[in-house]
Amino acid sequence: MYIRDIVRRSGRSLKSAKIRTILTALAIGVGGFTLTLTLAAGNGATKYADNLIKSNFDPSELIVARDANIFNNGSTSSPQEYDDTISTIGGGRQTFQLKRLTQDDVTKVRQTEGIEQVREGYRVSVQYITREGQKRLTASAEAYNGAQRPETKAGSLPKNGDITDKEILIPDAYLGPLGFANAQEAVGKTVTLVVRQPFSQAAAQQLLSKAQAGATNLNDPKLLNEFQTLTTTYTIRAVSAKAATSLSFGVAPLLVSNPEAKRLSEFTTQGTPDYQKFLIIYARVKNGDQASQLTVAKDRLTKAGYNVRSVEDTQTTLTQIVTILQSIVLVFGVITLIAAVFGIVNTQYISVLERTREIGLMKALGMRGRDVSRLFMLEATWIGFLGGVIGSITGLILGISLNPWITKKLDLGDGNSLLVFKPVQMLALLFALMLIATLAGWLPARKAAKLDPIEALRTE
Amino acid sequence: MIVVEGVSKVYGKKENRFTALKDVSFELPSSSTVAIVGKSGSGKSTLMHIMSGLDHPTSGTVTINKRNLHAMKPKQMDAFRAQEMSFIFQAFFVEANQTAYQNVMLPLEIAEVKRRDRRSMVKRALAAVELEDKIDTQAGKLSGGQKQRLAIARAIVNKPTLIFADEPTGNLDSATGDLIVKQLFSLNKKLGCTLIIVTHDQELADKCDIQISLKDGKVYSISGAKKGKV
Repeated sequence: MYIRDIVRRSGRSLKSAKIRTILTALAIGVGGFTLTLTLAAGNGATKYADNLIKSNFDPSELIVARDANIFNNGSTSSPQEYDDTISTIGGGRQTFQLKRLTQDDVTKVRQTEGIEQVREGYRVSVQYITREGQKRLTASAEAYNGAQRPETKAGSLPKNGDITDKEILIPDAYLGPLGFANAQEAVGKTVTLVVRQPFSQAAAQQLLSKAQAGATNLNDPKLLNEFQTLTTTYTIRAVSAKAATSLSFGVAPLLVSNPEAKRLSEFTTQGTPDYQKFLIIYARVKNGDQASQLTVAKDRLTKAGYNVRSVEDTQTTLTQIVTILQSIVLVFGVITLIAAVFGIVNTQYISVLERTREIGLMKALGMRGRDVSRLFMLEATWIGFLGGVIGSITGLILGISLNPWITKKLDLGDGNSLLVFKPVQMLALLFALMLIATLAGWLPARKAAKLDPIEALRTE
Repeated sequence: MIVVEGVSKVYGKKENRFTALKDVSFELPSSSTVAIVGKSGSGKSTLMHIMSGLDHPTSGTVTINKRNLHAMKPKQMDAFRAQEMSFIFQAFFVEANQTAYQNVMLPLEIAEVKRRDRRSMVKRALAAVELEDKIDTQAGKLSGGQKQRLAIARAIVNKPTLIFADEPTGNLDSATGDLIVKQLFSLNKKLGCTLIIVTHDQELADKCDIQISLKDGKVYSISGAKKGKV
């Protein structure tokens, strides 16, 4: 019998038992629906993770740390040997003690073969930012990284390299509080940044020696404040928009040039144990767009005793988390499918029993056992097809309808969706469901194929 | 020409052993009408099943047009049945949810007849049983007589050389039964096929060219055909 005739006949047989067919297909559909949404969520999460990495890291840079625990949420399972680079971060139960890199380490990394540039990753706690006639606002500052090129609302970024030492990028969150009507208006205007130096023994000695030389009056109440603060005026080069994929919490940091970030950081940490110490630094690899170069540089730094991560490693970690979460949901989808498979086996067994005389007739008329088996397996395939179409289309419609709401609720940002549907993946899922259904139909089909036509024709 | 030679059929083993047919032999000319008669348990159906290749004899041979049926491989046997044989049953065995056209199409699909020839063949078969106007009607909506005519159309659509009819009028009232019998005999003459009817109905058997009467698995009497070993 021609396969197309078997396909048509199997389709007709299913049509003649519509309700049973639809109910069985719905069982497969539930599995298909779950798997469609799971795969779409996996795609969306992976895409979001990729965007997160792209907008926060330069792929040609390596992240270098002395303490491996930095890459492990900072937590340590056993006490570590003390050295004076250890810094305590956080407080209460969330206290981490981590070894930091020194200026010597920065020099050593910079001199490593294959390393083109090193960024110290300064983070400056700013006392306040203001402009004339406006309020003083809290802020933090970081070094501008040309490789990341933050999204701007107004102004421009240099094509290559750093911004100048007199320029600053302010996040759009500061526009209103600093009295700007819009981003465009802010570009070219000046703002004042004030950072504070902690009162250290060195500062006290410096102050005393100035007073002894008669250069200052120790009774002046403004003295301490003036002595301890550094006030710098910058011109706003651009207004940055906080990307939905930004890793910084709360208000995004102000961005100044790398030398400025260093100057401010050193001023705010001078005389403290934090002076010129870094949890991580970023080492840009020469020809770092080539994976082999990154690997070689990473090996060299690892041999030198540093803990090194490439952006790809970070991406892999994120992808692994997504994959684990996706796998958990997939398991539920597969369990649903297993239940559906038993549904198909049951339905097809009943069908074989109900159609015993029909099978007997077909065999008497010369239909081969192989073709009888194909007929029943194809019926199961049809059920798989129907279930797959019902499940994936329902998932698609629901996903497309809910995507804007989910994006808003999870604050994923414009252009990001949690559920990303890939046609090829959906087709593959449909074929997989058809295959599973076909396999589920194998046992009943075998029973049908092995029926003795004489016995089948005698069935009441 | 159908030659049945020394056919025996034994079911079961040892104390459960039951002999359904004992050394049955006869010859039937082509295009004849044959009635196999006998009481229940006489071996009528077993003989029909062995003659149609649905069952194997314990011993003996069945030769149809010089082809030894039981020497064929299963695949050859299936193809032979699809090309040369057809069946009509007491219970009609039509698929109620499918149209008359789809029911009659079944043997053509099994025999892998070319698609372009199928529709005309189905139409001709339905016309032969005066059901051409029911071509798109669901079989379940037809009366008992129409269903059996549909089964006859299905049996003749592939122009078989041999039609087996197992109590073809058993489920019909006498008027409808007479009509069906009339059509069967008319088609036998028109198509030149051999018609083998298994029946209890002596009146129907009397209309056939040859009557084979079975009793306890043996040929009790035979009329109009060559009896015994060939």
